[in-house]
Amino acid sequence: MKTAILFQIAILIGFLAAGCAETTYIDTMHDAGKPVMALDYRDFDQAASEMVQSMLGSGALKKKEGGRYVMATGRIVNDTMQRIDTDQLMAKVEQELLNSGQVVMSSAVGSKTDQMIYDTRDLKDSDVGDEFNKETVAAKGQLIAPELSVSGKIFQRNIRYDNNRQQVEYYFQLQVTDLTTGLRFWQNETLIGKRGSNRSVAW
Amino acid sequence: MKTITNILLFAAAVALISCDEPQGSKIHLRADVKSDNLVDNIVTRPVAYAFSALIGEGIEVTDAVLRRNQAGLLELNVNGINHSQFTRKFRYRVEWLDQDGQLIQTKTSVWLRMSAMGKSTFSFKVVAPRPDAVNFRMDTRKWE
Repeated sequence: MKTAILFQIAILIGFLAAGCAETTYIDTMHDAGKPVMALDYRDFDQAASEMVQSMLGSGALKKKEGGRYVMATGRIVNDTMQRIDTDQLMAKVEQELLNSGQVVMSSAVGSKTDQMIYDTRDLKDSDVGDEFNKETVAAKGQLIAPELSVSGKIFQRNIRYDNNRQQVEYYFQLQVTDLTTGLRFWQNETLIGKRGSNRSVAW
Repeated sequence: MKTITNILLFAAAVALISCDEPQGSKIHLRADVKSDNLVDNIVTRPVAYAFSALIGEGIEVTDAVLRRNQAGLLELNVNGINHSQFTRKFRYRVEWLDQDGQLIQTKTSVWLRMSAMGKSTFSFKVVAPRPDAVNFRMDTRKWE
């Protein structure tokens, strides 16, 4: 009887403790939270920061004749075991490159194509074409082709460290290619390595 | 009298190891690589480590040089020394200021990791994301 009461009290305490796990906001500016085996926003922040600094610091984006390069985003491959939207990396990189004043990004081609560019051009030949003022529809030959392309890859290696721990290595690789000559102007790799319990899932 | 002399000699040896700063020498041979000697050996080394922890030796930034790179962006080169016998891991964040002293909002101002081995120099470079950056401020914190 006594054991049964104690058991019921223990279950009650368990439920109460679970109910106390309140939701809190993450202090993304100074997050002192524990690292996790999977990629989290801090890893993308670090990788993006290192990539942008390397790219800008190399001088590869400084146009000799002045002005800004037109850059398109090429293919960014996610070769990790996680479902990652590569925009988590590229949105930050593109934003900083745009703000640097050295590059203007293209939405006409590449993986960040804005379909609306082509939809609005199709209006001329569409059934509702007469509804639009022809002068406000983009004429032919207005789009500007990119001069540079940024492409890359994120991949993961899982290694058994010892009986209880695993090592997960995440590689972020980016490269900038001159689309006229095919020459590679810049490339960089950032490694983020984590060691943790075998029971942690890194995908 | 003999005991006091021995203690003083031992303390002097520990102090000598603690003062073994790497600046000035291009080649740094560490313990377990170089030969042991009278002041730095298998007996005195643990004491030196304990002493280092006791007096709380840590990181010192000796140099922070600003220059404009070929792309016209400000570049901060930070050099420092880890006075501790232990490897010190820390995070740093550099924020950039414009000519009015206002903060430049950028995704590159995040906490980045740095690790400096015991009794070693270290260096890192940070590049400003915009040409209008004219100054900086840097903060550090423990790497959890």
